[in-house]
Amino acid sequence: MSSPEPTARSRQFGRLMPVAIAVVLVVAPVLVGWHWAKLGWRDKHYNYPGTPTGYTQIVNRFGQPCNADASAISMKWPASDNGVTYTPRFHRKLGGYPTEVVSNKGGKSTNLDNDVYGHIQNAHLSQYTKSGIWGYLCRYIAGTTTWSTHAWGIAIDISASYEPQGSCTSTVNKNFAYIFKQHGWRWGLDFCDPMHFQYAFGY
Amino acid sequence: MKRSIGTATAWTVGFLAMFGILALIGRAAANGSEPAASVGPRMTPDNGAGELLVPVVGGVYGTREEAVTANASMQVGDLQGYYVIPVAQFQGFREGVGVPGDFALVSVFRTDEGAQEFAEFVQSFGYPATILAERVRSLGGLYAGLGQERNLDGTGPLLGPIPESMP
Repeated sequence: MSSPEPTARSRQFGRLMPVAIAVVLVVAPVLVGWHWAKLGWRDKHYNYPGTPTGYTQIVNRFGQPCNADASAISMKWPASDNGVTYTPRFHRKLGGYPTEVVSNKGGKSTNLDNDVYGHIQNAHLSQYTKSGIWGYLCRYIAGTTTWSTHAWGIAIDISASYEPQGSCTSTVNKNFAYIFKQHGWRWGLDFCDPMHFQYAFGY
Repeated sequence: MKRSIGTATAWTVGFLAMFGILALIGRAAANGSEPAASVGPRMTPDNGAGELLVPVVGGVYGTREEAVTANASMQVGDLQGYYVIPVAQFQGFREGVGVPGDFALVSVFRTDEGAQEFAEFVQSFGYPATILAERVRSLGGLYAGLGQERNLDGTGPLLGPIPESMP
């Protein structure tokens, strides 16, 4: 019993098949590589300052509240819900170091603007960073005469419109809080302030 | 020999008994009370008495209660926003704000930059923030936020008068 003669269509398919396989083999790694690289983003972990504990260590590491370094670096952070791009400022020791995706801003590390922000983008979690994004402000904690960690530029509020102070649960920030924690930050949910992330403990 | 052993035993037992008694006394003692108030000089709150200051105004109200209620509804995250202040505390305030009322939501600054930064911050929450065109003279009184702005030399908060705030 002899096998049937291949038709012209099947012969054409047979010729194109290796080409299609070759294209897939070439394109797929490129797509995967681009996805993970995110146009060149890399987690650097360069020159992080130790996370201070308490007022004295904060001052020793980051200087007096409201000093010039506290607001030296800024970054663009678009909110996912209202289309507003916020420009939080923060301490020179927490970012601004040149990387593939951050220009040289005179900063000393890659913590916030490259690593934390990059992880959030890379993990497709930016949909959870919503309106109300604040960094440096020379201001006391509400209702006190104690300096807020914002006055050192070592705190950032995210999704302020969705994470009211005093709430001991989180609605959106819970989705990316682990990234901050993995990079030396403390989440304010510990003291019922879920919008707040600070690069300090015991304060 | 027996006498020396007895003496040593007595000393040891005595010491142990003494430590035991001290431990019991310490355990039973009340917790330490709060330290008494300092007898040294105390810094009065910086209210900029006599200085010409830049006020950022969040509203003017007829009574303190109204102002306090309004202020409570204007939370700006975990940071301090406005202070409830009698309007009469600032010379030139009534004329500058042009709205009747005896109490206002205010935060005052020595620098225009500090006022501008705070106003932008408050406005981003959707709350009113008006910077008065003319500086007002502080007559002292309640603390209204002075010191919560950057010193012009970049070393920290601005804690004293500057030429622009001096009459």
